[in-house]
Formats: sequence, structure tokens, C-alpha cells
Amino acid sequence: MEVPLTELKEGETGVITAIKVGFGHGRGFGHGIRKRLADMGLTPGTKITIIRSAPFNGPIEVYVRGYKIAIGRNIAERIFVEVQR
Amino acid sequence: MNGKRIRVALVGNANVGKSVIFNQLTGLHQHIGNWPGKTVEKAEGTLHFKGYTIDVIDLPGIYSLSTFSLEELISREYIVDEKPDIVINVVDASVLERNLFFTLQLIELEAPLIIALNQIDVAERKGIKIDYKRLEEILGVPVVPTIAIRGKGIHELLLKVIESFEKGLRKPSPIKYGSEIEDRIKRLEEALKGVRIRYPPRWVAIKLLEADEEVMREVGEVMPGVLALAENLAKEIEEIHGHPCPTVITSERYEVAGRIAGEVQRVLPPIKPILSDRLDYLATHKVYGYIMMAATVLAIFYAIFSLGDFLSEILTNIFHGIGMGFTALVGSGLLGDIIWGGVVEGIIATINIALPYIIPFYLLLYVLEDSGYLVRIAFLMDALMHKMGLHGKAFIPLMLGYGCNVPACLGCRIMETERERLIAGFVVTLVPCAARSIVILGLVGKHLGIEWALYLYAINLAVVFLLGRVAFKVLPGEPMALIMEMPEYKVPHLKTVIKQTWFRLEEFLRIAFPVIVVSGLAIKIMEIFNLLTPLSGVLSPVTVIWLGLPEITGVLLIFGVLRKELILILLMTLFGSENLHEYLTPLQMFTLSLVVMLYIPCAATIAALVKEFGWKRAAMIAVNEILFAVFIGGLVYRILATLRIL
Repeated sequence: MEVPLTELKEGETGVITAIKVGFGHGRGFGHGIRKRLADMGLTPGTKITIIRSAPFNGPIEVYVRGYKIAIGRNIAERIFVEVQR
Repeated sequence: MNGKRIRVALVGNANVGKSVIFNQLTGLHQHIGNWPGKTVEKAEGTLHFKGYTIDVIDLPGIYSLSTFSLEELISREYIVDEKPDIVINVVDASVLERNLFFTLQLIELEAPLIIALNQIDVAERKGIKIDYKRLEEILGVPVVPTIAIRGKGIHELLLKVIESFEKGLRKPSPIKYGSEIEDRIKRLEEALKGVRIRYPPRWVAIKLLEADEEVMREVGEVMPGVLALAENLAKEIEEIHGHPCPTVITSERYEVAGRIAGEVQRVLPPIKPILSDRLDYLATHKVYGYIMMAATVLAIFYAIFSLGDFLSEILTNIFHGIGMGFTALVGSGLLGDIIWGGVVEGIIATINIALPYIIPFYLLLYVLEDSGYLVRIAFLMDALMHKMGLHGKAFIPLMLGYGCNVPACLGCRIMETERERLIAGFVVTLVPCAARSIVILGLVGKHLGIEWALYLYAINLAVVFLLGRVAFKVLPGEPMALIMEMPEYKVPHLKTVIKQTWFRLEEFLRIAFPVIVVSGLAIKIMEIFNLLTPLSGVLSPVTVIWLGLPEITGVLLIFGVLRKELILILLMTLFGSENLHEYLTPLQMFTLSLVVMLYIPCAATIAALVKEFGWKRAAMIAVNEILFAVFIGGLVYRILATLRIL
């Protein structure tokens, strides 16, 4: 089942299926953010585990490729994962 | 032996101990400045080793060589254009995969590479053991294991630099992508034949498929036809994989990095549950986290202000003594007045800010940063910062702003994009610094009661939120996105912290000192030639009619540009009394403080803005803030007067 990353609970793991930020070739809106996410190791097929989410709808902290990274909620909502249970 | 120079560049991800290695290599022979015309820091140093003079440049900490941030662009242009003899890639052994992803890009860029495999102790604590010889074999790049924080491996690293310089490095073979991508890279390489461009051709071909803006621009100038071809080829790849081509290429690069990491490292269960994790639970908790944060921030400000006041008083007394001696020596004539009032008082003012406040401030800040706690604060504050059109990282410069706006402006460098930096830079200058707090507390707090001072701070917060949002809307660009590594906690490296503080102090003095002296001199000369009173008259339509203040405040606001706390001191001097409520109505005190809180950043802050954003933008910020402060001041004055509240 494909859900946004923000749907996962703490400790749950998913595999990234799509990152719906920025479209097309070149200067698309959000293109830079998409590239940034990929550069930090968030590419399709990557395993991602939720560590915690910050209070007041803040960012979520995830474990990916052996390290921890915080991602703003507005971005995390657009990262889709296949939940592994 | 002085003729033999080696130019070395340090590159690597953030939080890998790169600056510690830089400090271990160069000691105090460092120079820190900005890249010409950029808001990115440039650190250079020199050392002598085995008859060589080695120039080291510490490139910014980055995760990739794309063009997402200025730092990334600067780093790759430096490697390509300046052609350093050796590029040392500092790699965090405890996060090998992500670090190798960056290493692979350096190999593609054909940089003359040596790897410093750092933090092997941290890796071991996490249960990771790395066969560095094997890594060396696979990559075709020399690897030196280091524990920079304890100075281990630094000597070996230098030996390797010399050896590689003398014997030359063999060229490592770049990674191979899937055949459907490789074919298209080859076709682009063919099409690019004969084109004169400063980057290696294979790299250009890959970057075109990745839709790299800078490379597309440069190729477009000499061979526009290739761009269309690249776009078509990228579309084909997108169709095959079902993901945009740049993502596919990044994915494959990560796959290779992951495969290499898997081959050279053995991961065992960690020896003991990492302390970091338990600390993290508290630091990011929805209750304890905020309590911890508030306690930390308040403790820092309390420590700085109580220590600062104490030191400042001692210094003032010392300078007062010197001042008496000076007057006795030079006399109190015109020249003496200009030198003392203009120049020497500027020096005193700078020392009085720098020594008691700026030094402890930076020391604590770097301890917090190096320990890893600062990113946890950014994590907690992200949601709130979004409300003012920024993201979590901006909380740090904003917090600095309450101390002094100058380091706050410089601190905006932690934001990634130019736009984020500009918005943050604008917002922090609205924050009441210590000097403005002196006016607020000394005027409103003392005479009207502390609750009125708090109202002012509340108005200020509202203004910061409002104008931040406006700036965010006015300056077009991508949505604000927090994407921030959360490094493990660690004990700060004291020597690095002290050096960072020292260089920041130097930078502060370089920026603030000249403007404080020059503007002080200018105001002193205006005073001597009696130009201030007529100037107050010119300003009176604003001060008297619109703001309802006494005419004399025009002078004060001019002096305030120099240093805001002067406004309070001068008020007492001009009225010859500390009982200001005998000369100003409560409403006037409130309005004056409000205007002081918001109008034009002080001279030193303007200088910092100019340095970071250029004259035009600095002037725009200053003018905007004057107009806004006057507008709000008059508005609040009328509202309060009509309601007869004050």
C-alpha cells in the first residue's frame, strides 16, 4: 500500500516508491528540493524508518542509509512509501 | 626550499570532522574570509612539511556536487578552475554509504583524490569495522584512516599528500551506470566532441542528463543543439525507469556507493546502546525538549549578560581613567574632542561590545553547535519558523539576533539558498538586540512598568512574523524545506571551538570597527559644527507631527544609527537627569522605544548586511525598516492616544 511518509508511525519502515516534489526536466518548481532529497540518499527503492516526528506538525526524523535526517512536513507529505509490516 | 608548494583542498560532507582536520593541519596559520561576492565562507591556511609549503583550503561541507546550494557550486568550480594539486576527501567512516556517494562524484569530476577515512572510532562504537585497504583497491584512491579529534593519522595523511604529489596519482576508473544510461552518456559525449568547456566531457554528459542548470547554461552558450538532445535522451531514460532521469542517475550512484560500503564494512551490533539515542529522546520530546531548549537559551543569555555587564563595567572604568589622562595630555580643544569623541570612543565601544559579549557568545554557540544540540533546536522550532516563511535552521540566527545583529546576519549562512539567506537576514535585523533591549528596558521598562516592555517585545514578534511572511511572498522561489542531517552528539573539540571563536571575533572587528569609528567621527563633526539641531528641525515633521515626540529626538535617532543604546544615554545627558518621566510623557517613551526597536539596523549591522548581500539589498532593508518603523510608530501613537491608554 502506497502512503505518504507522514502516515507512518514511529518505528515503522517503508520503501520509497515515489517523490512527488518537482516535475519535468530542468527548472521545474521544487526541482532543487527533489535533487536535494536524492543527494541525501532518499531515492526510490530506499528503505526508510521513522524515528520520531516533531511536535506541532513539525518535521519528521527518519533513519536512512545508516544515518538520521530531519525532513520538513511539507516535503515528507510528498514522499510516498510502501509500508513494510 | 621555499619554492616547492603544494595546493591542497579539503572537501567532504558536513559533520565529518573536516574543520577539525583543517585545524590540525594548519594550526593558527589561517585566514578566514568570504568567497568573492558570495555569502559563503572561505578558510585558507598554510603549513610547512618536509621542505614543502602546503596551502590548504577548506571547502564548504556539502553532500553533492550539484547546484542546489551556493556551497556546492563554489566547491566544484574551485576544483575545476583552480586545479588544486591534491583534493583530500574527508569521509565519515560511520556513515560510509552517503559519504562514498560524494566520493564517486569527485572521481567523476576527475579530482586528484586522497581519502581521509575519519571518525573510525565513532564507527567502531557503532559496530562498524572498515577494511580500508580493500576500499583503496576498489576505488583506486589512496585511503588514510584518521581520528582527527585526537590528531591520529594527520601525519600519515601529510606523508600521503607528499607521496602522491611526488609520484603522481593514478587515475581511478569512474563508476559505470546501467547500459541504457551508459549508451546515452556516450552519445552525448560524441555530440560534445570539439566543444571547449572547462569540465571533463563525461562529467558534462552526465550533468546534462541530470539537468544541471549551470552546465546547461554553459553548454547552451557554445552548442545549444546538445541541450535538446540531452533532454530527449533524459526523457527516454525516464520512460524506461518510470522516474525522472536525475533521480535515476542519483539512485544508481547511491547503489554503487551502497555496494562498495557493503563490501568493505562489517557491521556488528553496537557494543552498548548509544547514549546519543537516549539524549535525543529528551532533547526532541514535545515537553522536555522545549523545557531543555528554553533552559539552555535562557542560561546562555543570562550567563552572557551577567558576565558581560560585569566585564563591561570594569572596562568602562579603565577607559574612563584613560580618558581623563587623555584630556590632561591633549587638552579639551577641538582636535582633542574630535580624536577622543570620534575615534577613541569608537574603539572603546567596539572593545566594550566585543570582549564582554561577543567572545562568550560565540564560545557557547560553537560548543552547542559542535555538540550537535543546535540541530535539535532547529528540529523543534521548524513548525514555528514556517509561520514566518522560514524553516527550522533560521531559528539559530534569529536567536543570535537577541544578542547582537551582526553575528546574526553572518549566521544566516547556515541557510542553503540565497533566497533563504536574504529573508533570514532581513528578519534578524528586526529582532531587538541587547543594545535595543537596553533602551526598551531603561525607558519603558523602568518608567512604565515591565508589562509595557513586554508589550513591545510582543509587537516585535508580531512584526517579525508578519514581515518574514511578506518577504517570503515577495521574493519568488521554491517552498521552504527543511532537509537537515541529525548528526550524533559528541564532545566538542575545544581547540576547534576556540579557533572558530577567534576567527569570528576577528571578522566581527573587521566589519564593525571601521563603521563604528567612521560614523562616530561623522556625528562628532556634525555636533561640533552645530549641524545636529538644524537636522532635528528638518526631521521634525516626522518626529514631532507624525510621532508626537519632542524635536530633540531627531538627534537621538541619528545617533542611534551608530549604537542604539546611545539613545538612552543621550536622553539623560540632554535632559541632564535620569528622571526621564519629567521630560517625556509615557506615550512618548513608548513610541520612541517602539521606533528605536524597529528602525534602521545600526551601522555595524548595515556593514554586515552589505558584506553578505551587497549594497543594494542592504540599503533596501535599511530604508524599508525606517519607513516601516515610522509608520508603525505613528500608528501606535495615534491608537494609544485615541484610546487614552497611556
